This record gives sequence, C-alpha cells and structure tokens, in this order.
Amino acid sequence: MLELHELAVAYGDVRVLWDVSLRVERGEIVTLVGANGAGKTTLLRAISRTVPVLAGRIELEGERIDRAPSARVVERGVAHVPEGRRLWPDMNVEDNLRLGSYPRRARVDVEASLEHVFTLFPRVKERRRQVCGTLSGGEQQMVAIGRGLMSKPTILMLDEPSLGLAPIVVSEMFAAVQRINAEGTTVLLVEQNVRQALEIATRGYVIETGRVVGSGTPDELLASDQIKKAYLGL
Amino acid sequence: MLVAGLYAAMSYGLALIYGVLKIINLANAGFLMLGAYVTWWLFTAFHVHPLLAPLAIVPLFFLFGSALERTLVRRVLGAEPIISLLLLFGVWLVLQNLAYVIWTGDTRSIDTPFIDATVSVAGMQLAVPRLYVFAMGVLVLVGLQLFLTRTYLGRAIRATAQDRDAARLVGVDVERVNGIAFGIGIALAGFGGSLLSLLFSFTPDFGRTLSLKSFCIVVLGGLDSIVGVAFGALSLSLAEAFGVRYMPASLQNLISFVVLVVVLIVLPKGIVGTLRALRRG
Ligand SMILES: Nc1ncnc2c1ncn2[C@@H]1O[C@H](COP(=O)(O)OP(=O)(O)OP(=O)(O)O)[C@@H](O)[C@H]1O
Ligand SMILES: [Mg+2]
Repeated sequence: MLELHELAVAYGDVRVLWDVSLRVERGEIVTLVGANGAGKTTLLRAISRTVPVLAGRIELEGERIDRAPSARVVERGVAHVPEGRRLWPDMNVEDNLRLGSYPRRARVDVEASLEHVFTLFPRVKERRRQVCGTLSGGEQQMVAIGRGLMSKPTILMLDEPSLGLAPIVVSEMFAAVQRINAEGTTVLLVEQNVRQALEIATRGYVIETGRVVGSGTPDELLASDQIKKAYLGL
Repeated sequence: MLVAGLYAAMSYGLALIYGVLKIINLANAGFLMLGAYVTWWLFTAFHVHPLLAPLAIVPLFFLFGSALERTLVRRVLGAEPIISLLLLFGVWLVLQNLAYVIWTGDTRSIDTPFIDATVSVAGMQLAVPRLYVFAMGVLVLVGLQLFLTRTYLGRAIRATAQDRDAARLVGVDVERVNGIAFGIGIALAGFGGSLLSLLFSFTPDFGRTLSLKSFCIVVLGGLDSIVGVAFGALSLSLAEAFGVRYMPASLQNLISFVVLVVVLIVLPKGIVGTLRALRRG
C-alpha cells in the first residue's frame, strides 16, 4: 500500500537519503532499523511530507504523494508519530488527542476514536485533564501514539516509540503496537530496540548512511551476520 | 484601573501574532491608529455610530492582515528577527504616511453624547466610554479564549504556536494558520484602535507610547498567552494608578518602561510562562 522508489532527500546541500526503495503491504508491521544518523527519521519525514523530496517517488495505494502537502497525506490516512513525541506541552492530554482528529475525515468520529485510545491506554484516560508537560515519558509516548490514532490512519508510522523508556514500559509499548496492528492498522516502525522490533515485525529493512543495505523477514535478518554484529552485540 | 480593558484590547493581537509567527508586529501601532481613523471617518462622513464601526473594521482588517501576511510577512518568516522587525516598521511608516496624506496631521476626535456620558456607580462618577472599553476588553478575552480552546481552528492556532511541526503532522495547514493568525492579530489591533478613538483624540502619529505599553504588557504576560495579556494589562494599569500618587503624572508613561525592564530581568518568560514552567516541574 506504501511504496518508495529510489527516494533521495537532502537538507540543503547535505544529502541524507540515497535511492531508498521499500514497500509496506497492507496489514504488515515493517520495521526500519539502523544506527544513529542513518536517516530513519528523515525517511518518515519524507513520507509525511515534512521534509522536501529531492528525487524519487512515494506512492500511497498507487497515488503519488511525494509532492503533496503534509495535510493531504494525513487526510489520505498516514499518521506519523514523531521522534521525541512532540506533544503540545501546554495543552492537556485530551486536547492533544482531540487535535489528532484534525483531518475532516476523522472529525466525525472523534468521540469514538477517543474511547478507542482510552481502551488501548487506560492510563491515558486517567490523565486526560493533565497538562502533557507533566506526564512521564511512557505516558507521553502513549498520548503521542494515541494522537496518531485519532486521525484514523490506515498506516501508522512510529519513530522510536521505546526511546528513553524503562524496559517494562518498552514491552507494554510493543504489545500496544501489536494490538493496534491486529485491529487492522498497518505499521511502519523505526526502532533501535532491534530485537524486540523484529519479534513483532513481519519484515524489516536495514538502513546505513542513507541507503537500504538489507531487508527480509525477521528470521532472515536475525540470522544475518550484519545485524548480529551491528545491533545485537553478538 | 478601567484602562486595563483598553490596554488588553490593544495588546491581544500582538500576543497572538507573536505566539504563532514568532515575530513582533511593530506595525501594531499603525493598525491601532488606522482603526481609530476609520472609526472617525465612518462617523464624520457617513454618520456611522462609533460603536458600530468595528463591524466593518474587524472583517476588513482581517482580510488586509491575511493579505499582508501572504504577500510580505511570509517571505521573512524564516529570516533573522531584525528582518521582520524592519519590514513591519516599514509597514508602520507607510500606514502613518498614508494617514497624513488622507487625513492630514490635524488632531481628530469623536464627539457624540455617548463619549461624554457618565454613570454613577457606588457614589463614583464613571465615564461610560471607559466602562464600555473595559467591558469590550473582557469580552474579547472571553471570546478569544473560547475560540482558541473550543474550535478546531482555534486549537490548530494554539498547536501551531506551541509546536509547528507537530501541528503539521496532524494535518494542520500551518501556512494557512499563519495567515489567519496574522489577520486576527491585525483585526484585534483595528478593534483596539476603534476603542481608543472613544477615549482619546489622535493624529497619524497616534499609538507610539501606547505601543510601548503593549510591548510591556505582552512581555509581562508571557508573549504568547491571551490570558497573560489580560494579567499584564491589569498589572500595568494598577502599577500606573499606584505610581501617579507618588510621582508627577507626566512621568506616568515612564512606569511601563520601568516595568518592562524589570520584568525582562526578573521574569523573562512573563507571568504565565513562569507559572507554566513551575507547573511542568
Ligand atoms: N534538520 C536537519 N538539517 C540538517 N541535517 C539534518 C537535519 N535533520 C537530520 N539531519 C542529518 O541527517 C542525517 C540523518 O538524520 P536522521 O535524523 O534522519 O537519522 P536517524 O536515523 O533518525 O537517527 P537517530 O537514530 O539518531 O534518530 C544525520 O546526519 C543528521 O545529522
Ligand atoms: Mg531518528
């Protein structure tokens, strides 16, 4: 449903992505792994159209979106939960969530979406009147994912949702991602927590300095020497 | 203290524009002045009651503000602050000179029975226009707060002010929000100017000292908070009322400047910003 063809992205004169091609099929959890600065965040930002595309194509269900404005991409069903959560710190949890339903398509169902998020993350419901700046890291991440879900996405892109969380919270997070996927949302997951990401993924891609250097099923990737050495410390 | 409503009304626009676009609208004084002149002109040329003038001023100034954003301000948004300051300073000068050309430099004022009316409240004689302006200051505060917290567009404006990229990610067209926020900011300045014309006489140079007070108020309040502006306006008017008891009235305008400097040193984030920081821990 989402396809990238030889995508290239640069910040000013600095080229960050080179000829990146990848595919995400409906219903999958595809994980994107790679070292710091490899270009994973940039890749997601290119898809959500918050950074300009230099060359190549991005297709969503056959329609090119690489020149579309970001609002249009959200409207088409792509939600991007950014690195570092990026909540609005001076708004309360519920306002943050409600704004997730900004696309017209999602507005009519805002109450149902809110209930859905609360069922998924009961802790978020308890904190609904609290200002986001006062939440713990794990709670903030739940709100960030919840905000993404509020736009009723067909594909949810998560950028390092486990970053900076305690191990037990990390496991909760991965379980939640799995549940969201089981409910019918396709997931593109950027992670440094390679082992856990591959445990829930259907396929994975490895990015190094802006290029795709490997891809395959979790078993294939876990068996490859490249992954073992670089990410699993084996 | 009734003057707090006026101070607030002329500062909301400044805070809104700063909050969303992160630029200081140096042309604010120009739009205050223009709002006053348009009110006067509608009154003298067409016998439009000055209280009705905002019905025309608010939509017109909104359109003009959004157009100004789309054509000029947008081009300087990413640039160094000095660039937008100079641009908007230029806009102010243009407005001022236009006013000289159209309305000459003569001092103007509006005369209706309403302007001179008084009521006695608890034994005090209060000027009706002052009461009215205060009420409007409160009304705009309530209206803006409702708009910013209850509507999708209003929430999108707050979201853009707090984190522009995050706003983009939920599908907010932040370029459009810029235009709307600037338009509202200018409309508020026009409305403020229209209110000012009920209390003061004016020339094209009008708004210079008041503008300094506006800056003091938004810095006091925290630059981007509408409630903060109301706080700031109240504090400044109290400080002034208090100050004139102990110093010559001619020094009254100095108070805002002193307050501005003190606040910048002691509470650089303003009252609301400091409270927020405390609340976040
Ligand atoms: N706004 C920017 N302007 C210029 N260069 C940038 C910008 N953002 C990222 N870069 C550079 O682009 C490269 C890729 O960054 P990116 O954030 O996409 O990597 P990443 O794989 O997400 O890394 P991490 O694991 O640290 O999040 C890095 O070299 C980074 O320094
Ligand atoms: Mg990253």
